[in-house]
Amino acid sequence: MAEGLRLDGLTRRFGSLTALDALSFSVPAGEVVGFLGPNGAGKTTTMRAVFGLTELDAGAVSWNGVAIGREDRRRFGYMPEERGLYPTMRVGEQLEYLGRLHGLSAQAAHLATETWLERLGIAERAESKVEALSHGNQQRVQLVAALLHGPELLILDEPLAGLDPTGIDTIGEILVEQAHSGCCVLFSSHQLDQVEDLCESVTIIDHGRVVVTGRVDDLTTAGERRLVVRVEGDRNAVWARSIAGVTVSEVAGGEARLVLHESVDSDELLRAAMTAGRVTEFVFERRRLSEVFREALA
Amino acid sequence: MSGILLAVTAVLVAARLWRRYHRRSPRESRARFASGPFASDIGLVAVREVRERVRGRIFRVGTVLILAVVAAAIVIPVVDKGTSHPRETVGVVGALSPALRATVAASGTSVGVAVRLVSEPGAGAARDALRSGDIALAIINGRELVVKKAISATDVSTKAELVRVVSTRLGVAEAFAAAGLSDAQASRLSRARAIPISSIQRGATKDTTQTTSVIGLVLVFVMLTQYNTWTLIGVMEEKSSRVVEVLLATVRPAQLLTGKVLGIGFVAFAQATLIVGFALGLGKVVGSDLLHGTAPLVIVSTLVWLVLGYAFYCWVYAAAGSMTQRQDQVQSLAFPLSLPIIFGYVTAIAAASSQSPSALSKVLAYLPPTAPFAMPVLVGLKAVTWWEFAASAAVSIVCTIGVARLAVGIYRRAILRTGGRVRLRQMFSATTR
Repeated sequence: MAEGLRLDGLTRRFGSLTALDALSFSVPAGEVVGFLGPNGAGKTTTMRAVFGLTELDAGAVSWNGVAIGREDRRRFGYMPEERGLYPTMRVGEQLEYLGRLHGLSAQAAHLATETWLERLGIAERAESKVEALSHGNQQRVQLVAALLHGPELLILDEPLAGLDPTGIDTIGEILVEQAHSGCCVLFSSHQLDQVEDLCESVTIIDHGRVVVTGRVDDLTTAGERRLVVRVEGDRNAVWARSIAGVTVSEVAGGEARLVLHESVDSDELLRAAMTAGRVTEFVFERRRLSEVFREALA
Repeated sequence: MSGILLAVTAVLVAARLWRRYHRRSPRESRARFASGPFASDIGLVAVREVRERVRGRIFRVGTVLILAVVAAAIVIPVVDKGTSHPRETVGVVGALSPALRATVAASGTSVGVAVRLVSEPGAGAARDALRSGDIALAIINGRELVVKKAISATDVSTKAELVRVVSTRLGVAEAFAAAGLSDAQASRLSRARAIPISSIQRGATKDTTQTTSVIGLVLVFVMLTQYNTWTLIGVMEEKSSRVVEVLLATVRPAQLLTGKVLGIGFVAFAQATLIVGFALGLGKVVGSDLLHGTAPLVIVSTLVWLVLGYAFYCWVYAAAGSMTQRQDQVQSLAFPLSLPIIFGYVTAIAAASSQSPSALSKVLAYLPPTAPFAMPVLVGLKAVTWWEFAASAAVSIVCTIGVARLAVGIYRRAILRTGGRVRLRQMFSATTR
C-alpha cells in the first residue's frame, strides 16, 4: 500500500529557538502538496529533516510506514532553497554524476540527463559550465538534478522563485505530471496563486506547528460565502453596508467583495443591489488561498 | 615500499569508515556496494575529484612548471660539469720524455685540470706566451718551471695547485733519475696509489645525497601545501555553493569526505610519481650523479612520507574547510594550519645541510605533523634503522586514523552551518557529545 511520506511529532531546537514543535502531517502518493508558511516558520528545517540533513530532538519521518533510511533517500529528489550545483562543472557531467549518486548506471544517467535537458529546452547547454547559465536555466538544471533518477518522493524548496511565467508553467506542468505518475510531491512557495493552481492539498505551518492542513477545494470553499458585486453608480458599495450579515471586505475599481453571513439570502441581496443601480457583475467566489493563509496566521 | 604503505594507509582508513558505515545499516550498505567498490559513492566522488582536478589549468600548468624545474636541476649541473672542466696549456721548452709528459698529465688530473702540452721554440718564446696568457706555465728542459706571477703560499687556485703538483712530481722524477732508476721503475713508482683512509667520526663532506634530500624536501613541502590547500578550498567551495546539501541528501558525510581526499590524494601521488619517474629517467639519460649513493633510498622514503603526510594533513584541512565559506576565511585558516609544515620543513632543511641530525630532528621524525620532512633526511644521513622508520610510519598511520575520525565529526557538524565561520570550540563540544 502506497502510504507516502509521514512526519510524526518532529521537534527541532536551535538553542532557545524551537524551529519545529511536534510537527505532524503527511504527503500521500500521487498528490502535489503545497507546504506554506511565513519566513522562519520551519519549512526548510522540515524538508532537511526528511533527508537527514538536520538532527531531530524528537519525532520520526517514515516512508510507506517505515522509518526512512539512506537507501530510501536515494529514491527521493531534493531541490534545496539555496540552489546547490558545482559552478565550474559542465551541466551534463554534473547531472550524470548526481544521477549516479542516486543509483543510476552511467548509461541510464546519461540517457536521463539528455531526456530531461531536452524536455526543459536546455539540451544545447549540456556542455556549458553551470556558472555560464542564466538564473532561470540554473533553476531548470537544479530541477533536473532532482528528477532524473525518477524519484518516488519529490521535495522542492521554493522551486518557482525567480522564474518567469513560462518557467513557472513548465515546472508546474512537470510537478503535476510527476504526481499523476504516482510520485509524492511536496513543495514550498510564497506564490500562493500558483500553489492554488497546482496543489490538491496544502499544509500551512507557523512557528514550527501545523496551523491548517487539508485539500485546497475544501479550504477555499469552507467558511462564509464570498460575493463579488459591481453596481453602476455606486463605486463604494454603499448599498451593501447597511444590510445585516454582509461585510464589505474590499472595494476596488467599483468592484465590491462581500462576505456573507449564513443568514443572508442571496436573492434579497441581488434585489437590493438592483435597487441601488444597474448590476453588471454578481458572482460567488471561493476564498483565495491567500485569504486562507492570512486567516490561518492571523 | 611506497606502494605498500599507501595501500596500508588507505585500507586502514577505509576499513575504519566502512566498519562504522556497515554497523549502522548493514542492509543498506550491502545493497549499495553489491556492484563493486568503484560503483560506490566514495569511488564516484573520488573519480569526480580526479577528473575535475586533472582537467584544471592550475594542475596542467603546475605540472609542466615543476617538470621544467626538475629538468633544470638535473641537466644544468651535468652540463656545467662537462663544460666547466678547466683546461690549462703547458709550454715545453726542450725535450721532455714520454714518462715525464705522462707525469705532467697525471698531475693535472690529480687537481682536476685537463693539461695540454705545447712545444715552445725557446725560453724567450715561452716567456712571451706566458705574458700573453697562451700558456699557464712553462717547463724549461724538464728542470725548471716558469710562471707569469709568483705563486703565493695562500693561493689555492687550480692553476696554483697544478704548478705545485707539477713542480713536486718533476722533482721526484729527477730524484728517481738521479737514483739510477729506469723509466719503467720510475713510472711504476709515480703510479703509486694512496692507501685508503678510514675515520671514526663522520666528516662534514657534502655529497649528492644531500642535494637529493633537499630536492625531496622541497617536493614534499610544495605538494603538501598545494594539495592540502586544494582540499581546504574544495570543501569550502562545496559548502559555499550549497551543492553539499544536494550531495548529503544522498551520500553520508564520511563517504563524501573520504572520496574527496582520496581523489585529491590520488592526483597528488600520481603527479609526484610522474615527477620522480621523470627525474629518474632524465637523470639516467644525462648521467646525473644526484641518484647515486643513498639517493634512491631517499627518493623512496620521500614518496612514502609524501603519502603519509598527505594522509595526515588532508583530514585536518578538510575539517577546516567545512568551517569556512569564504575565500578570506580560508586564508586566515590556511596560515596557522601550515605552521607545523613550515617548521618541519625548515628544521629538516637545516639537518640536511649540516649533515648531522640534531636531537630535535630525531624527535620530529616520530611526530606525524613533522615526520614527512624529518624522516627522509634521517634516511639520507643513514641515521635511522628500518624498524625506527617503520615505527614512525606506524605512529603516523594510527594518528591519521584518529585525526580522520575527528575530522569527519567536525565536517558532519559544520558543513551545513551557514552564516559565518564556525568556531572550533563549537565543534569540539558537538563532536564529543
